[in-house]
Amino acid sequence: MNSATLLRAIASGERSAREICDEALARIEASDGAVNAFTAVTAQRARAEADAVDARRARGETLPPLAGLPYAVKNLFDIEGLTTLAGSRINQELPAAHEDAVLVQRLRAAGAVLVGALNMDEYAYGFTTENTHYGATRNPHDSARIAGGSSGGSGAAVAARQVPLTLGSDTNGSIRVPASLCGTWGLKPTFGRLSRRGSYPFVHSLDHLGPLADSVHSLALAYDAMQGPDPLDPGCQALRVQAAAPALQQGMAGLRIGVLGGYFHEHASAPARAAVQHAARTLGARGEVLWPDAALARAAAFIVTASEGGSLHLQDLRQRPQDFEPLSVDRFIAGLLQPADWYLRAQRFRRVYRDQVNALFQDWDLLLAPATPVSAPKIGSEWIEINGSRHPCRPAMGLLTQPISFAGCPVVAAPLWPEGTGGMPIGVQLIAAPWNEALCLRAARMLEEAGTARMEP
Amino acid sequence: MEEQDILHYVKAAAPALGLALDAQRAAAVAQHFGRTLALARLLEQAPLAPEHEPAEIYRAAAFPGMEAQP
Repeated sequence: MNSATLLRAIASGERSAREICDEALARIEASDGAVNAFTAVTAQRARAEADAVDARRARGETLPPLAGLPYAVKNLFDIEGLTTLAGSRINQELPAAHEDAVLVQRLRAAGAVLVGALNMDEYAYGFTTENTHYGATRNPHDSARIAGGSSGGSGAAVAARQVPLTLGSDTNGSIRVPASLCGTWGLKPTFGRLSRRGSYPFVHSLDHLGPLADSVHSLALAYDAMQGPDPLDPGCQALRVQAAAPALQQGMAGLRIGVLGGYFHEHASAPARAAVQHAARTLGARGEVLWPDAALARAAAFIVTASEGGSLHLQDLRQRPQDFEPLSVDRFIAGLLQPADWYLRAQRFRRVYRDQVNALFQDWDLLLAPATPVSAPKIGSEWIEINGSRHPCRPAMGLLTQPISFAGCPVVAAPLWPEGTGGMPIGVQLIAAPWNEALCLRAARMLEEAGTARMEP
Repeated sequence: MEEQDILHYVKAAAPALGLALDAQRAAAVAQHFGRTLALARLLEQAPLAPEHEPAEIYRAAAFPGMEAQP
C-alpha cells in the first residue's frame, strides 16, 4: 500500500492513523537490522501524533493533507528532545534540541507522524552514507551496495518501505543521489524555497532541504505543506506559497522539453543514458540541449563546499580531528587551506553562471539528465569507470547533480529501472527554471502514470 | 604545481589556521588539495570582469515593501 492509498484510507476512516503508525514501527523493527537507515526511532511521539489524528477524526474535524502519514527525517533536522547528530560523533555531546526544525513543525501541522531520525554522511560531506560512526546504510535492493548520500537513510527508508515519506538535505546532490540509487522519488526545491531553520548546516551558500517519497502525489503534498516564508531564516527567499499539488494532472502538452547533452552525456553510463531516453520519449522531448559551463560549475561548487564546510568545523578540526569521519576529515582540512581567490572566483562565477542558466529557460521549459552516472556501486568502492574513464567513486556520484544545484534550479529525481544495471535503479533529473517546482512535479506525475518511473517492491 | 610543492604548501599553511598535521595527515590533505587545485585551474578559464560581483548572500535589510507576507 503506497502513501496515496494510505492517506485515502485514513481520511475515509477505513484505517486509523494508530494502526498505520504501528505497522510502520513494526516494519522498521523488522528490517532496519539489514538496512541501517534509522539512528533513532521516536515511537512514543509517533503514537501520540497518530492518536491526535484519530482524535480529530473522531471529533468530526476535517483532517489536514498528510493526516496519519508516517515519516522520518535525516538526523540533521532538529527533533525536540533529541540531539541533532548530523551524522557525527562529536555532536553527541550537544544538548537535545528544544524544538523541532521548521519543516518538521510544518509537517506536524499537516498531520504527518514522525517515527524517527535517519542515517547520513557525517556533516553531509559525502555521497555514499558509509558512516564509520553509525555504520553504512545499505541499499534495500542489494545490501552489498551503497544507498547513496548524504541523505542515504532517507532514500533507503523509503525504498525499504519502512516509511512512505522522508526529509533530506541537498547541497550538491544529497537528495537526488540517494533517490537515484535507491529508486525513490526526490525533490530538491529551488535554492531559498524552504526554510532551513532548525537544520544543521553544511554549506550555507548551497544547502537545500526537501522530501523523498514513494509517490509523486505525496512528494507534492509534503512539499506544499512545508512551503511558506520564514523571516527568521536569512536563506529563505520565498515570500508566499506556490502550491504544486493542485496542478499535478495538467500534463505537459505544449511545453518545450529537452535532454541535456555534452557534459551530461559524457559523464553518464549507457544505462543512465537509456533511462533519460525512456523518460524523454514518454514526455515528448524534442531536442538536445547544452547546459552552459557544467564542468566549471561543478568545479566552483566543489570549491565553495570545501571552503565553507571546512570553515564551519575549524575549531573541532584543530582540537579533535580524530573524532571526525575518516572518509571526510582530510577533505574538510584541505578545504580550509584553499586560497581566498579560489572561493571568491567561484562565488563571482556563480552569479554569471546563474544568468546563463536562467537564459536557457527562455527557450526550454523542462530539461532532463541522469541523476547519477551509474547505478549503486558496492560499499567500499574506491573507483568507478564511466565510459572508459576512471573516477574516484565517492565524489563522482555528484558529477551530474552539482552543476544543477549550483544554479539553484528545482529538480525532481524520478526512479527508472534501465537494463544493464543488474536490476538496480537510476534516477532521471527533471529540471525547471527557478521557482517552477510545479512543472518538475507535473512531469514526474506523467512519468509515474505512464509507468516509466516507479517505485519497485 | 608539483606534488611536493603542494605538500609544502599544506604544511606551511596549516599552522596559520592552528591545525597540527602529522606526516600521514598532511599527505592525505595534500592529495585532496591537489584534486581541488585542478578544479581551481579549470575555473580560472571562466572570464570574469571586474564588475562581476560574488553571488549575493548578505543584505543590510529587506528593501522597503519587500518584507515577507504571511
